[in-house]
Amino acid sequence: MSDTRTLRDADTADLDTSARAATGAHDRRSTPISEDSRVAIEIRTLVEHGSMDEARERFADLVAIHQRRASRIAYQYLRDAAEADEAVQDAFVKVFAHITSYRETWPFEVWFTRILINGCLDRRKARARRDRWFVSGEVSTADEARASGSGGGDGDPERNLLARERRARIAAAIDRLDGRQRTVFTLCHYGDCTPREISIMTGLNESTVRVHLFRAARKLRALLGGKP
Amino acid sequence: MNLRRHHLQDDRLFECYLTERSGDAIDPPTAEHLADCASCGERYTDFTRLMDRLRTDGDAEADEIFTRERLRLQQQQIARRLEHIGRPARIISFPGRLVRRTLTASATRTAPRWIAAAAAAGLFVGVALGASYEFNAFIRSARNSLVHAADASRPARLTPVATRGSSQPDVAADDAFLSDLDVALERPHTRELLAFDAFTPHVRDVRAVGRRD
Repeated sequence: MSDTRTLRDADTADLDTSARAATGAHDRRSTPISEDSRVAIEIRTLVEHGSMDEARERFADLVAIHQRRASRIAYQYLRDAAEADEAVQDAFVKVFAHITSYRETWPFEVWFTRILINGCLDRRKARARRDRWFVSGEVSTADEARASGSGGGDGDPERNLLARERRARIAAAIDRLDGRQRTVFTLCHYGDCTPREISIMTGLNESTVRVHLFRAARKLRALLGGKP
Repeated sequence: MNLRRHHLQDDRLFECYLTERSGDAIDPPTAEHLADCASCGERYTDFTRLMDRLRTDGDAEADEIFTRERLRLQQQQIARRLEHIGRPARIISFPGRLVRRTLTASATRTAPRWIAAAAAAGLFVGVALGASYEFNAFIRSARNSLVHAADASRPARLTPVATRGSSQPDVAADDAFLSDLDVALERPHTRELLAFDAFTPHVRDVRAVGRRD
């Protein structure tokens, strides 16, 4: 328990300090403004001019762009569908509430993902606090049961069972990663982020991100015995 | 040349994987080595297969849970929550309006002056009547006390009823009557118990025996 607490604290420290480092890191970027960033700027302008209804309508486009990816990341972090759902909703609501503080020097995706991850980390902390006092609720049992019900998408029970076992093994292996490694690995593999984007989100040096990614991959390979 | 002699390290293979994933091309010497060296090529293939499998499995698992329908519901929920942002806080108007209406009604309607005058007159009359009643009661009680005082100072002309014609046989008859009354009251009223009562010595009998002794 104390180990996991230390890892979570490390996670939070990373993301808290990332704000300072990320600005400097992003100054080096010279990529053109992405579509979602452009929409975010448009929404910010609408909110500043008091056109809230129109801003809400435009925000639905942003939600549609990032919803699936956000749900994947949140689920990999929390391993609980209901909690991941709430975390995604909270992140979007927070983004809209603070859209006036969005700056175009940051890609919207990075800004949003940071907010989402901070929310997920807070929820993990809260869950750990809860588990310290109450019996663990086996948060993913229902989700796993539902996933096993639908299986791998076909009706072969044996294949579904194997897929479920494999996923459980992968989830357990990822859960055993160091806090930073888990964050970096989740963002890279489930959030489809490049090492540079992860470096902006977390405030870590890009080469440090690569090192964490490599160590995470090596550890996963060792834990999973070379094959998932 | 150097790459041809030594096998690629794992971190180098991972760099290649990241480079390929981001859509860039692997640097030519490394690519050439991977193509030439069967061992490194096999390791690289295993590694990329593992990473790809991890990602596709994770994505598939999440996509099975977050179906299209669920995402649509999530979007609706977000839209519902956004409705409350940027709107001023709602004030519950129920008590405020009522109080204001009551206050306005009472302020606009001025009470007629004759009501106030009638109330004042009623109060005055009430106080006056109360004062006069109390004064009459005081006079009456003072008069009674004077009469009683005069009666007490006068000598009694009549003999009290109880002392009139009293003699010794009358007193004895009274005592007998009272004791009969006591006996009648103390006797059990249930017929079945009368026999037992007859056999049981009474307190008064015991006392009478004692007195005789």
